[in-house]
Amino acid sequence: MTPKPESELPALFSGYDTGGFYDEMFESPGVPRPHYQRLYRQLSYMGPAEFQERREVADLSFLVQGITFTVYSDGRGTERLFPFDLLPRILPRAEWDQIEKGLSQRVIALNLFLQDVYGSQQILKDRKVPRSLVFSCRHFRREMMGLEVPGSIHTHISGIDLVRDSRTGEFMVLEDNVRTPSGVSYVLENRLVTIRALPQAFQQYAVLPVDDYPSHLGRILRSLSPRGGDAVVVLLTPGIYNSAYFEHSFLAQQMGIELVEGRDLVTDAGIVFMKTIHGLKRVDVIYRRVDDDFLDPLAFRPDSELGVPGLMTAFRLGQVAIANAVGNGVADDKAVYAFVPEFIRYYLGQDPILKNVETYVCDRPADCRYVLEHLQEMVVKPVGESGGYGMVIGPSADRATIESLRQRLKSDPRNWIAQPVVALSRVPAFDSATGRFAGRHVDLRPYCLFDGHKVTVAPGGLTRVALQAGSLVVNSSQGGGSKDTWVLRGES
Amino acid sequence: MNRYRLVHVTEFHYDGPVSESYNEVRLRPRHDDRQSCISFRLTTTPQAPTVAHRDMFENLVHQFNVLGEHRYLKVEAESVVLIHDSPPAPPDTLTLAEFDAMREELREEYFDLVAATNYVPHPDALREFVREAEERSSGMAPGFARAASELVHGRFRYEQGATHVHSSIGDSLETRAGVCQDFAHILLAILRMRGFPAYYVSGYLVPKRAVDAAERSMEEVIGGQASHAWVEVYVAGAGWMALDPTLGAPVSTQHVRLALGRDYGDVAPVRGVYRGHAGQRLSVDVLVRPVLDDEGREHWTETAAGPPQPPALQSGQPQQQ
Repeated sequence: MTPKPESELPALFSGYDTGGFYDEMFESPGVPRPHYQRLYRQLSYMGPAEFQERREVADLSFLVQGITFTVYSDGRGTERLFPFDLLPRILPRAEWDQIEKGLSQRVIALNLFLQDVYGSQQILKDRKVPRSLVFSCRHFRREMMGLEVPGSIHTHISGIDLVRDSRTGEFMVLEDNVRTPSGVSYVLENRLVTIRALPQAFQQYAVLPVDDYPSHLGRILRSLSPRGGDAVVVLLTPGIYNSAYFEHSFLAQQMGIELVEGRDLVTDAGIVFMKTIHGLKRVDVIYRRVDDDFLDPLAFRPDSELGVPGLMTAFRLGQVAIANAVGNGVADDKAVYAFVPEFIRYYLGQDPILKNVETYVCDRPADCRYVLEHLQEMVVKPVGESGGYGMVIGPSADRATIESLRQRLKSDPRNWIAQPVVALSRVPAFDSATGRFAGRHVDLRPYCLFDGHKVTVAPGGLTRVALQAGSLVVNSSQGGGSKDTWVLRGES
Repeated sequence: MNRYRLVHVTEFHYDGPVSESYNEVRLRPRHDDRQSCISFRLTTTPQAPTVAHRDMFENLVHQFNVLGEHRYLKVEAESVVLIHDSPPAPPDTLTLAEFDAMREELREEYFDLVAATNYVPHPDALREFVREAEERSSGMAPGFARAASELVHGRFRYEQGATHVHSSIGDSLETRAGVCQDFAHILLAILRMRGFPAYYVSGYLVPKRAVDAAERSMEEVIGGQASHAWVEVYVAGAGWMALDPTLGAPVSTQHVRLALGRDYGDVAPVRGVYRGHAGQRLSVDVLVRPVLDDEGREHWTETAAGPPQPPALQSGQPQQQ
């Protein structure tokens, strides 16, 4: 196809501009990529009013179902709808297969790293990653050293954030999340809502299903049971004030397991019990969505009201399985991230399929000097946070922010990394102010389940979209939204 | 060589009923090339089964819980331990300049023993001590370690109640006073700031009068409460040196080692959490007697009757005196 003059563009796409970025939908204005052609045709028949109507149907169904999340450090009430953009992000099969291979390789390497770093520490002895970097990680748990976890699985559930670089069109890993990654409930709900709001478009495609994620996770959790047989599995939540409480209750319900808070559990001499109206019931597996710090006040923060005293004792004795394992934060520390390609080479003897974004580790003096000289051009992140908290995007930061960052970086370089600004790819998103689509930056967080042998990735994942024009920040806690992600059975 | 039978009794009296009490103790003497733990028994009142594991510093940790309501908790650890004679002091062969060449390597190898911790930050206020210890070191690495220990011993006053169990070294630096826990933390900071890997050692100092029970010697020992703390420092090329900045005297067969760690936080002899609003009173007693000595003498000596802790203390952790 050749580019069409703008006057011929369908109403929803009039004035659409790829802005020099890699556009997931369009090769050039008016020329959709092969896998987007059917959707484009569907949307061409649709006027802004009709699309707006379908959008409202979608929003309403989220509202009715109470699918919300909470933004911390924001005075405006606790719960909020997670903004949803109806136009799906579509990935052709061959591209997805490559992503899936890359994720599988990465998750296995991360798991091997955790096994090693809490075991014989061969990688430290071989000097592939500095001991000082690992031991200075705030999330490195010395309590895990020498502790063998069921099935040698540390990373049961991973959410690996990918971005497509506009310069190369390639997917790269932006960060790993192997502690308590959230968002998978939106993947499942987004799909249901999209099917309801865009039924004809969905029928035009053969889309790989995502709905067996909960049953697959449930199978893995049950397989961890130290007693075998009818395992009692629970989901441990910090409670209703947690940003992802909706997801906790959703997943517990989908898997048919109990949703519990710390106060619902008690340990006795290394056995975990759930308090029920019929008395104490032994618990075999805990899918925890409570951070390490708060998990066990005897082992970690003594002021934690969210945890279960003695839980680490039970875990150490092998009387209960915990997913994800304790101490995973050392693997998704953003400074340790810089070494993940090395982990893949070291443990697997393979070249990384998915590349890292170039990363300056401020703990290295030379990197730190470079970063301090180029703050204005880089994205600077604290190493131990998730959800975009504490991140500074140099080009859009004001002078005061940069100066305060400079001071914080100088006083604690280990806590910071910096990356060049990646020109994230864009997907059209509906702008209700104009009644038209406009290009918005996206990332992709696929969810990976590891059963000790095989990594299974839910096809697609959560496409997060920065709904503000020009914004590169896709985190839900920072005003981002999401899209359904379709992985096609074939190429288009 | 010295042999002791030690009984370490920790008692908690609560003002009201408490429940779901979870505790971990590091009360079993180390069993390694410097001392042998011949027997160990841990009992609790109310009675509770204990489970044990080794932590990353190879300390044996015992854990237990008491679920039902109680107003009193007693932990009694009884051990027989054999203290081997100390190895001769390392020769002063390594110069500080030679040491400096190894410093980066040591940091990589012993990161946990060189890095600052919550209890042992590396404050600028101690730079002067580092400099002074260098001056008195005759340019030698072991000399630096000894000089640092002497400095801490000379410049700080031993004073019970000057600090509390959660004090960082800042409190002592201000008042120039503290107990053995503070003395050990300050020495650790000076050593680590100069790049020396060093352990905090939790243990007992057996008073001389207990060692020479038959002579009924009344010699006063600083840190009269037998629960004690000191430091072990790694001097590359010379090995591990033990330094007691509180006593200001060499670490001897009167020192019984319980646990090693980065600071007090890693080795607290008794720590726990419980449910309930009641306040608590803590008392610690350590009884020691030499056993099986050549003349078959046996004599119990009570060396420590811990004074009530300051009322602000709710942690259930005894400070090391």
